[in-house]
Amino acid sequence: MEFDKDSLYKLGKLSKIQIDDSKLESLSSDLASIIKFIDRLKSIDTENVDPTSNSLDQSLVMREDIASDVNTADEILENAPQNELDFFSVPKVIE
Amino acid sequence: MINGWELVIGIEIHAQIKSNSKLFSSSSTKFGSGPNSQVSLVDAAMPGMLPVINKFCVEQAVRSGIGLNAKINNKSIFDRKNYFYQDLPQGYQISQFKDPIVGNGFIEIDSEGQPKKIGIERLHLEQDAGKSLHDQDPKFTFVDLNRSGIALMEIVSMPDMKSADEAVEYVKKVRSILRYLDTCDGNMEQGSLRADVNVSVNKPGEALGTRCEIKNLNSFKYIHSAIIYEAKRQIKAIESGENIIQETRLYNIDTGETRSMRSKEDAHDYRYFPDPDLLPLVLEDNWIKKIKSSIPELPDKKKERFIKEYGLSEYDSSVIVSDKSTSDYFEKVVQDRNPKLVTTWVTSELFSILNKKNLSIDESPIPPNQLGDLIDYIDSGKISSRQAKDIFEEMCETGETAQNIINEKGLSQISDESELKKLVESVLSLNPENVEKYKNGKDKLFGFFVGEAMKLSKGKANPKILNELLKSKLNS
Amino acid sequence: MKINLNFIEACSLLEKNETTSVELTKIYLKNIKEAKELNCFNTISAEQALDDAEKSDIRRKQGKLKSRFDGIPIGVKDLFCTKNIKTTASSKILSNFIPSYESTVTQNCIDAGLISLGKLNCDEFAMGSTNKTSFYGPVTNPWKSNKSEAKLVPGGSSGGSAAAVAADLCVVSLGTDTGGSIRQPASFTGTVGLKPTYGRVSRWGIIAFASSLDQAGPITKTVEDAAALLEIIAGHDPKDSTSSIKEKESFLDNLNSSVKGIKIGIPKEFKSDGLPVSTQKAWDDCKKLLQSNGAELIDISLPHTMDALPTYYIIAPAEASSNLARYDGVRFGIREEGENLIEMYEKTRSIGFGDEVKRRILIGTYVLSSGYYDAYYIKAQKIRSLIKNDFNQAFEKVDAILTPSTPSTAFEIENEPNDPVQTYLNDVFTVPINLAGIPAISIPFTNDENNLPIGLQLITNSFEEQKLLNIAKNVQDTINYKSVPKNWWKS
Repeated sequence: MEFDKDSLYKLGKLSKIQIDDSKLESLSSDLASIIKFIDRLKSIDTENVDPTSNSLDQSLVMREDIASDVNTADEILENAPQNELDFFSVPKVIE
Repeated sequence: MINGWELVIGIEIHAQIKSNSKLFSSSSTKFGSGPNSQVSLVDAAMPGMLPVINKFCVEQAVRSGIGLNAKINNKSIFDRKNYFYQDLPQGYQISQFKDPIVGNGFIEIDSEGQPKKIGIERLHLEQDAGKSLHDQDPKFTFVDLNRSGIALMEIVSMPDMKSADEAVEYVKKVRSILRYLDTCDGNMEQGSLRADVNVSVNKPGEALGTRCEIKNLNSFKYIHSAIIYEAKRQIKAIESGENIIQETRLYNIDTGETRSMRSKEDAHDYRYFPDPDLLPLVLEDNWIKKIKSSIPELPDKKKERFIKEYGLSEYDSSVIVSDKSTSDYFEKVVQDRNPKLVTTWVTSELFSILNKKNLSIDESPIPPNQLGDLIDYIDSGKISSRQAKDIFEEMCETGETAQNIINEKGLSQISDESELKKLVESVLSLNPENVEKYKNGKDKLFGFFVGEAMKLSKGKANPKILNELLKSKLNS
Repeated sequence: MKINLNFIEACSLLEKNETTSVELTKIYLKNIKEAKELNCFNTISAEQALDDAEKSDIRRKQGKLKSRFDGIPIGVKDLFCTKNIKTTASSKILSNFIPSYESTVTQNCIDAGLISLGKLNCDEFAMGSTNKTSFYGPVTNPWKSNKSEAKLVPGGSSGGSAAAVAADLCVVSLGTDTGGSIRQPASFTGTVGLKPTYGRVSRWGIIAFASSLDQAGPITKTVEDAAALLEIIAGHDPKDSTSSIKEKESFLDNLNSSVKGIKIGIPKEFKSDGLPVSTQKAWDDCKKLLQSNGAELIDISLPHTMDALPTYYIIAPAEASSNLARYDGVRFGIREEGENLIEMYEKTRSIGFGDEVKRRILIGTYVLSSGYYDAYYIKAQKIRSLIKNDFNQAFEKVDAILTPSTPSTAFEIENEPNDPVQTYLNDVFTVPINLAGIPAISIPFTNDENNLPIGLQLITNSFEEQKLLNIAKNVQDTINYKSVPKNWWKS
């Protein structure tokens, strides 16, 4: 099975990962192999089966509406690769 | 209809929930704080951080759902909507996709004087994104995450609106309901309530056209003109043989035009899936019932009651109930008073002064009890309407009470009959010749006596009583 | 002082004043220094550890111990965020990240007085079963085959955590297990590894791989140690919405190794021709052992066992693709500049993530994307229900299930198959447990013909860790596995 180039580029775009030309082939064959592997599930009958997204049998625990988290801009920007005037800074975005 | 084309409009309202803390974190939601000063580790999506839901926000969504006559779902699921954007720290927005907290509902709007039902498809809870500033630096966009994670209710209408007017009416009505419920402050300028409007056009009887979504409209005026512009743009395009592309557009408030949003050009695939950090939100019937019992009277009911209870006209009642604060104000004033007089004073005098000063009714310079006092003076005849208007203006300027102004200026009317009788008697005894002439048929002289009496009372005589007394005396 | 000290022994030495926390800490720091070749640690926090140890000794003198475990040096997988200590998830993208916060699990350890020696190497973002995907290079298994000098993998993703315990670089360690990342390396290194019930241990502050599967747990030398460390780290955490509201338990004090009348299920689907003879024999021997100790063996079926791995390789990458979206060069971690925002994202993530992480992000994105979501993601979630149901039905008949932990013993680092799916097969016996959310433990049983440890896995129903530990202790006490690796790395 092949994983075609266009699909791979599309996935790269969606997940913001550059598809390096030199690795295109090996990546494509890796993904093809994985997809072949997971395709095994297609033959399993899952009619009338409910999906499980979390195994913990509990409903959501809610918290009270108290604004107890306080921070300064410095604290939250401490690990930021680039910041300016208490803002996170990114290459200019044109909307 | 525009030039033989029908409009189809559906609206998504994003209403910020009035809460102390954010939907999934305990950061403050206060407006106007310094950049990035209300950003918890969760809001900034630091590694290993997890969301915990705010109970109050859930309650507010349920309240709003009830207010929109909608079905409250006992079980709802939070999903992740995945996309990359500088104002979206997690790389996904926690929202509700397949199983929202609130399902189908409806509201009623006024469409050219006729009531019209607009369907509500759903209401769901989701996180707000941060704010981007593009104009601070030539090369960089700045990001403030204070808003990131604030709780929003997204209210999705059915595509039931056919004109820009209806669209505005719809948003107004939803806003009014949310304000009655106190679940959203409805402040559009601050962005607490914004609308994404979907517009398409089609020829009557033909299939629906391709829709375009105009994002982030934050005033009734913009909603109106954006729809008109967009509809005309689409009509022009179709008539000149172009195809409409389904896309997201931005409204430029300076030019009044809409344009395609470049940053959203990439075909989106949001890859919604249930957020594995959150379990299903399960609401007990009893809990929902408790919320239901705490729902206040909403505008439609209130309007009916005002008509019935106070004899208000349909129009006056609509005007007064359209805003919760106005109706509250009105009801405080109207207690044990003449509803007609109160309505006139609220809708004409008070509204015009608020308009002039650009104030909301909550900021009214005259509190309801003081307007009530003023109206009492009019109703009891202590002051004339003419005097009342002057007093009212002075109250607005100085903040003084009506009583103080009346006392200070000695403005109160003389309505006491025995006092006025004395007045009448002295006027008649001072002018015996004119009394003679009047009795001989010169009716016109009646005005002269009134004038003299007024002069003598320094204008304070209650004209109505004075007239009556004069008449009975002269005619006896 | 005796090397190969376990948690309980170390506590007892401290209690009898035969050593001090500072002395213990110094010994382990020295061991770490001498074991550079194993590459177990990403960050060694020697100063902090000695400082903490000193404070522990003072507490002991003043009779103000934080717990009976106060003063014991531990190692922490570099996936737990630790305040003011670099936390990398063994990824380049976080290679400069210093959290301002402490994960709930490590905070619980601090509150018990444990001394962290530093951050342990692991597969990048816990994705792997060899520890070879780490940006900081592979960890070497302290064990070597008696037939070869080749370096072996310690397993993964908690390879550093397992190797460090096996090589006496810490008394006990913390790992995380998403599809076998505690049990598989424990099995490869002759240590005990416990994956608790999903929800038993808080995930707050642990760098997420697959949120619905991730669970932290202990890697130790003995079952008692695992009970003790689990007791320290477990409990409801209001900061984690998937944390169980169940009460804390005293696993150590409640240990009871009797298996009389206990029903042990043997799932037929775990039998395979590919299983090494020695592993099969170890499994058979353990069955006999439990039987002779009074347990009853029952043949059971877990029909969807072989479907678990492909199911896992849909669900885990799907969640990971979303969980790892936050590594975008904006708020933390490294950034690679670009002409525009998109280019900055793409460059940062392409340079910051290793190949396996990228593969999983791409696969995860694929299975969630429109047109494939139902066929893959929803399908996998449904099969997850079937797998969980298999276990539910089994536990109506049995108390616990016994299986091998891994299909092989430790293999050579250099000997990596080209096809990623071949590597994924390492997790075939451990993955079903994560999908079902139930607890399981791997304990060393014997060594194979190459003198490499073979681990066996015991599984119980949700929140039955006590039963799990009890049975594991019974096996441990009966076999008395005492094998330790020769410390070749010191020479």
